[in-house]
Order: sequence, then C-alpha cells, then structure tokens
Amino acid sequence: MRLTIEGIGKDFPGVTALDDVSFEILPGETHALMGENGAGKSTLIKIITGLYRPDRGRLLVDGKPVDFTSPRDAIAAGISAVHQERNLIPRFTVGENIMIERPPTRNGVIDFDKVHSEARRFLDMIDPTIDTRTEVRHLSVAQMQIVEIAKALSLEARVLLLDEPTASITGHEADALFAVVRRLRDEGKAIVFVSHKLEEVMAISDRVTVLRDGRIAAAGQPIAQMDRGKIVTAMIGREERVAEMGTRSVDRTKTVMEARNVATSLGHKNVSFQLHKGEILGLYGLVGAGRTELARALIGDARIVSGELRLNGNPVTIPDVPTAIRRHRLGYISEDRKAEGLILTHPIRSNIAISVWRRIASALGLITRADERRIAHPLVEKLEVKTPSIEQAVGKLSGGNQQKVSIAKWLAAGVEILIIDEPTVGIDIKTKTAIHELIGEITREGLSVLLISSDMPEMITLADRILVMRDFAIAGTIENTRRYEPMSREIMGLIHAGSADAAPAAETAHG
Amino acid sequence: MTPSSDSRARPSWLAEQSNLIGLAAIIILFWFLFTSLAPGFVSSFNLFALSRSLAVDIVIGFSTMVVLATGGMNLAIGSIGVCAVMASGYLMQTIGLPIPVAMALALLLGAFLGWLNGFVIVRSGVNSFIITLASASLFLGGMLILSKAQTFNALPPEIAAFGRMRWGGFVSPLLLVALAIGAALVVLFRFTALGREILAAGANPRAAELSGVPVGRAIIIAHTLSGALAASAGLMLVFRLGAAMPSIGQDWLLPSFLAPVLGGTLLAGGFVSVVGTILGALLVTTLRSGLLVMQIGNFWLQLFLGLILLAAVMIDRYRGVYAERRSLGRKTNLGRKESGRRA
Repeated sequence: MRLTIEGIGKDFPGVTALDDVSFEILPGETHALMGENGAGKSTLIKIITGLYRPDRGRLLVDGKPVDFTSPRDAIAAGISAVHQERNLIPRFTVGENIMIERPPTRNGVIDFDKVHSEARRFLDMIDPTIDTRTEVRHLSVAQMQIVEIAKALSLEARVLLLDEPTASITGHEADALFAVVRRLRDEGKAIVFVSHKLEEVMAISDRVTVLRDGRIAAAGQPIAQMDRGKIVTAMIGREERVAEMGTRSVDRTKTVMEARNVATSLGHKNVSFQLHKGEILGLYGLVGAGRTELARALIGDARIVSGELRLNGNPVTIPDVPTAIRRHRLGYISEDRKAEGLILTHPIRSNIAISVWRRIASALGLITRADERRIAHPLVEKLEVKTPSIEQAVGKLSGGNQQKVSIAKWLAAGVEILIIDEPTVGIDIKTKTAIHELIGEITREGLSVLLISSDMPEMITLADRILVMRDFAIAGTIENTRRYEPMSREIMGLIHAGSADAAPAAETAHG
Repeated sequence: MTPSSDSRARPSWLAEQSNLIGLAAIIILFWFLFTSLAPGFVSSFNLFALSRSLAVDIVIGFSTMVVLATGGMNLAIGSIGVCAVMASGYLMQTIGLPIPVAMALALLLGAFLGWLNGFVIVRSGVNSFIITLASASLFLGGMLILSKAQTFNALPPEIAAFGRMRWGGFVSPLLLVALAIGAALVVLFRFTALGREILAAGANPRAAELSGVPVGRAIIIAHTLSGALAASAGLMLVFRLGAAMPSIGQDWLLPSFLAPVLGGTLLAGGFVSVVGTILGALLVTTLRSGLLVMQIGNFWLQLFLGLILLAAVMIDRYRGVYAERRSLGRKTNLGRKESGRRA
C-alpha cells in the first residue's frame, strides 16, 4: 500500500504545527521519520492515524484521497500504530488483547479456543515464543511491543507506525525487534519508524524523512545517500556542535564518594567505585542494568544491605533522601523530570527554593516569596533559563530549561555530589550542548558528578572515567580517551562480555 | 488571594480568579433572590443564625481543604468532630473541668485522631479514602459505645451564653473565630516552609521527596491539622446548641467537600484557596438559610447541594484539563515558539 502525504498543514491556536508537508511511504520499505521535539512528528502521526484532521492538504491511499475522522477509519484503511503508551489491557491474556477488536464468537459468546488459535497465527509470524494465554502484565516491555505488532497484523495493517519503539527496551531486544521489522518489510508492509536515535535509523531504515519546525527538511532521502552529519544538519538546520569541555584536570587524590563492595536491597552485588572531587564519573549500561537503582540506593531511597559507602572518607548510612541532601550534600536529578524531578504546576521560584526551604525559614518557620526569589533569581540568570518570569510554572518551560531548573535546585542546596540521570533525554540537540557545558562548568567549580546516561556520544563527551554496569554489578571501568570508536567498542565489549554466548541464542529465541 | 504561589505563576490564574469572582457573583445573586422572595432573609435574627452556621461551614471546609492540599481526603471529619464534641461534654459536665481546659483537651483529641489517620495512611501506603472511611466508622462506633449516645445537656451556662452572643447586632463571635483560623491558614500555606511542603507533597509527592521534602511527615501533619479543625467545628456547634450531642457531624461530608472545591482547591492536590473555601462555605450556608426562610424543605436542600457539588467537580475537571493543556500539552507549540524566538 502506498500512503501519500500531500501538502499537509495543521494549525493550533497561535502556532502552525505543520506546513506543506509532502512525502510518500511505499510498500516494502522502512521509512524513518525524524525531527527534534516540537518539529511536528507527533502531530503528523496523529493525522496519519486519524486522531487529528489536517487543516490543509490530504492523505492518499494508493492514489485515492481518504478522510479519516477517527482512528477506526485509519485502521480500516490498513494503518496501525504502535504507540509509546501501551494500548494493551494488562489483566487480559495476550490472545485476548490481540483479538480484542473482533473476537471470534460461537452462539453469541466468545470462543476462547478460537481467540487463542487465531492470535497464535498472527504471533507466529513474528515471535513464536510468546504464549497467548499469558496475561500481558507478565510480559516485558519488548514483548508487549511484539504483541502490539501482532495485534496490528490481525487488523490487516499494511502501514505500521512504530513510535519510538526502542525507547525503553534493551539492545538485544531492539535487535530482535529490528529482525521482525525487516521481515515485515520484506513481506511488503510499509514500516514508519519514528526514533531519536541516529544509529538505529542508520541501521534499519531504507529512507528517511526529516521534519524541522513543522516543515519538511528532507523528504524520503535514501539512507545510503545520508550520513549522521547530514541528518543532524537537516534536523537542527546547522551543523552539530559538540560541547567544548575545556581542559579538565581532576585531582584524583581527593575522593568524595567511595563504594566498597556495596550490595543493595534492589539487588546490586559487589559495587565498588571512587568518585573524585570535581570529577564526572560516567555510569553506562543498558536499560535494566541497575544504574538508576544504584542512584536510588546511594541517596537513601533504597537500602544498602552490605558493604560500605564512604563520603569524604567517612563511612555513612543514609536513612532517607532529606538526610542525603541536608547532611551529606548529595543530590539526585531523575531521568523522569515530569514525574520525579519537578513540580510542574508550581513556579520556577519554588521549584528551585524547595531544597532550601528549611534552611532559609526563620525561627518560626516563616518564608516569604522574596526569600525564595533571592535564592532562585541569581541561579536563573547564571544558568540562562529562558523564561519571561521567575514566577512561570515549570511545566510551561521547554525540556532544556526544565533541566536547568533541576540543576539550579541542587546548586541552591549547595550539594557537593550530584547524581544526574539521563540529563538530556527528550531535550533537543541544540539545547543538549548547553546542558553539557553547564555540567562541565559546575564540576570545574568543585562539584562532583555521577553521570548516568544511555547516550554513548554524551558519555564520551562528558565523562572523565566510565563505569560500565551490567546486571546490577560493575563490569569494568574505562578511562575516557574521547576517541569515539575505540571507546564505544570497549564499552560494548564489557557489556556483552558476560553474555557473549547467551546473546545469539536470545536473539534467535526472540526472532 | 491564592496562598500557594504567586498569582502570576499559575497557568490557571485567570481561571482561578474568574472562579472566585463567579462564585461571589452567584452568592450575590442568591442574596438578591432570597431577599426579594423572603424579606425575613435579611432580618437580624436570620443574619445572626446565618453567621453562626457559616462559621461552622467554613471550618468544616478548612478541615477538608488542608487534606485536599496533599492530594488526599478525610472522610472521618464528622466522626472526629463528634468525638471532640462528646469528649468536651464529658469533661465539662461529668468531670467538671473548666471550659478552656475541656476545650483544649477536646481539640487535642481531634488532632490526635487526625494524626492517627495520617500515621496509618503514611505507614501502610494505602489510599486515604479507604483508611478514613474505615476510621470514620471506627471513631463513631467507639464514641457511641463509650458515651452510650447520651447527650450532655447540662453544660456550664457560659457555653450557651457565648453561643448567643452577638456583635454589631447580628455577627456571632464564632464567625470571627472561623475567619481568624482562615488567616492562620493563609499564613501557613503562604509564608511557612511547612505549608509549602504540604503543597509540594500534594502536587508531586515523588518529586517533593527527591527534593528533600519529608513527604510522609507533611501528610501526617496535614491530617493532624484536619483533625484539629474538625474538632474546632464540633466545638463551635457545642456553643451554638448549648449541648454536646452524638448526632453532630453526620451531615458534614457534603459541605466539607463543597466549600473547598467550589472555592478552587484542586482535588488532585498541590493548590488551596482559603478565600475560595470561605466563599464556597458562604454559598452553602446561603442556600441552606434561604431555603429555610422560604420554607422549602430540607429535601430540596440536599438536591441542590448535590447538584452544586457535581457542577463544581465538573469545573474542577475542566480546570485540570485546561491547566494541563496550558502547561504541559502543546509541547509542539512551545518548542516551536522557542525555536522561533531563537531564530
């Protein structure tokens, strides 16, 4: 099936989200759709899947104009989407979920044997290892995606939209998913692949379309004619700039944090490392390797069950997060800014001052807004948070500015050690560099940073040394030479070292 | 007007203010209506009765408001109120303690029962709805067993005398007590670290916790305060009735939610409006008093209050959606504006 997007435009009050977007999606191809946050990808996907109607232009299926008034129309036309938010019912079985749109019946009641045999038929096309009688809540995220794809196939989808499919699955699972994608493409399906990850796009797609500021920046370019630099240039409208870290001299004689054979209530074993003053210590690993969980244990949000944690040479036990902050000057920036990092409905002022409320309050516990502003204002200026007012609700800021507010909060608290978890996830490339430079700057001022990231270029730009984590243990430590190729090979080597034999087997099982 | 944060900061600021203005307009409308239909509505006798029941409605509203701030609820306020009422009756009539001592002890009992709610909620991690539903029945049952549902109606005469007291012809001192409590709550939520912590815990407990706010403690304190406020409302009724009756508190639940929700306190937590709660209570009291003066039965009052709560919840829902759309959604637009500015 050929899907033609012809001169599509969409306006929202005060802003044009899409303008004159035209390209074609062909059967038997994997078509990557790229763009920064706010480039219009989501709006376009919503139009293609019938959630929005375009204000201008039209969609054509095999040359015939179509008008989708609901997602149901799009599905009927053979277009299905696998969204980031899962659309499966956790307490229903895999089979029931796949067949939920049109369950086979006998004498007016659902024929469950047929539900499972039909579901099996679709699932066998992509992954025979998943049992149709398992409840969906017991599956991994990757398996849920497979089930969603099977559901789309059962609806006779000929265009399959995958929206950030690898955002929350491991590298091996992603490889298995790509195998499925290739197979479906070879069978003549059109796959639209939305992703932020350039490496993935280069590896899997046949053609790439890039949106920038709601317009086409590259339309259906064959991937063979593109390279990383060209795609980035199309996305940001200029060449990529790497953060200038300046000369970094870390005094390795001063250890501010040291873990000695730490085991945690979350399942870490034998974790040992040293963080020096002014150092950026990277913590790399696949999703699920236990990095965020380690951060939680270090800040007192989970328990250290054996081994020793030393801060500035003294053994400590941290009972809870407020103690970590107040007594040990240890802060944590979550990867999930919205759920765990900031109070979106509250103003910048109080989101920064929250960490020092107790400290700036008078003897009676009184605080005025002026007190908070005195703390927040200099930091908003110093970190160049772009906002019309310090009273702006944080939820209205862009991702990059939200992250600056998070960092400002910890500078206000006067932390000495900051754990930063995925500092630039969901932040556009332009702002990324600014955040990187900011992290470099605060360490030059004496802060020590434990940096968790799944973004290899980011790790190699920022970290002085890199701890590689695998299965809740440290697999190795690497000095950063800032040479991307050998570094990434060495890191991936450490990650896969233990599972070298298991890896191909797992892939076959999933594929 | 809005104690949680500077008005400019709130995405729903306009909605918030228009909400208060709208509420005031509706109240004025009802006052015109009742005054023209039943001139007795503005008699000093009725205004006095109105000011006394307004005082109680305001404090009941505050009792729920401080818990809504944490994103929770307290269904036990009626039970806590009546426990405090019966305790004060017992202490004054049976034990013969002086009035201030008995009142203070009754308030402490209310605070303790609220603390108990908060403690169990935080320790168990179970939703406050179910915990306070259980404790409401538990407290009420305990009180009935201990008191055998006997009314204490031989209280010191000063009690009833204070309840009958009028300032300026028709203002009960109880109303000033309620407004003083309101002023204290404004200070709490606007000018103290504790109040901010309660609001932060309500708006996003996880983010607050990771920012160093002792969230569990904030929730327990909010419930303790709610218990003390419920006890205060109960004691106000003791002054008004001149007796401690076991039937007090049974009909508090609806008005306790109506006042804050009408006044713009978010059910989801993180934002309270003290002035709004006072206005919300005023609307409830006005309706009750007006329907009474017009001799329309209590049945109609129930129907009206139910309708109004439903309408208020719809507005709250709309406000939530609106605020979210303004602040979180439209990432597309924000991003575009951003790049537009830089370009």
